[in-house]
Amino acid sequence: MGLREDIMNETVAQLPLRRAVTVTAGKSANEAIRLMRENKLGCVFVVDELGRPTGKFTERQVLKLVCACVPLDETVGKHMVPIPECGCVRLADPVVKVLEGMQQTRLRFLCVVDDSGKVVGLTGQKGLMEYVTEHFPRGIKVQVMTSKMHMSKREGA
Amino acid sequence: MGRKRNPVEPGEFEDPLSNYDPPAYADELERVLCETEVSQMPIRPLAFIEKSASVQDALDVMAKYECSCVVVQDAGRAAGIFSARDVLNKIAHDPATRTQPITDFMTHDPRTVYVTDCPAKALNLMAIGGFRHIPVLDVDDKVVGILGPRRTTEFLQEHLI
Repeated sequence: MGLREDIMNETVAQLPLRRAVTVTAGKSANEAIRLMRENKLGCVFVVDELGRPTGKFTERQVLKLVCACVPLDETVGKHMVPIPECGCVRLADPVVKVLEGMQQTRLRFLCVVDDSGKVVGLTGQKGLMEYVTEHFPRGIKVQVMTSKMHMSKREGA
Repeated sequence: MGRKRNPVEPGEFEDPLSNYDPPAYADELERVLCETEVSQMPIRPLAFIEKSASVQDALDVMAKYECSCVVVQDAGRAAGIFSARDVLNKIAHDPATRTQPITDFMTHDPRTVYVTDCPAKALNLMAIGGFRHIPVLDVDDKVVGILGPRRTTEFLQEHLI
């Protein structure tokens, strides 16, 4: 099977998922930032009392707050971005739905939910890159990771 | 099994590529990743600041262009990169850092790709190297664009359909 077929047929469960960090809307932005730094994540999901995602608070929101000099003790609920329906994927959805979701919502992170709608993980562009690399190793892993061109000077000059 | 070749007469020129089999790809997406160039990916617009700028200057540029990454240039060359992740990890909790030079907080000497490299190389740097933003250079080592996860995803999506 080719890469395209894999992306169309394989499921989100086969993507390298990351553990999602969740907060309630009443937590402060400071607390969310601390959690993002501790977990080396660029995003936390805001959930309701049943654990269902209602919004996300990402490093993009942090950047906006810092640029606008907004105090970081304000609540996450005030500055979160609501998650649209296509911003969530289920484990049984095809991988292509992640691509479509990111394109439609312009989000970098998608929330992975179980059948009851609870947050079970996080995926996004990084997970997708890793998936492509795993499924097309011949074409990608053989690339030389260097910033230098093979020849910087014209030969024989 | 090797390809059958006609014996070459002594002194006759032998084409060194006569036994070359071009790579075969399972689908168009794989071919595009390996055989096109980074220049065909969405690498612009590009936000940049000079090396002498402060953190506040960088924040202003990021706010103005609503981008999550700026390239720090030194005479047209990529001296560093400053992204929203740096703001999260180094700036957010310490307002005093705003007046300090950007060079104290940027990632120095970022990994780069050339416009003539294949997209697979950019993916390699992102997925295996873990670099999220990669400046794109022309043959004179000048920064002409930047690749991030969103742009790479766009490129994949475009060639998937």
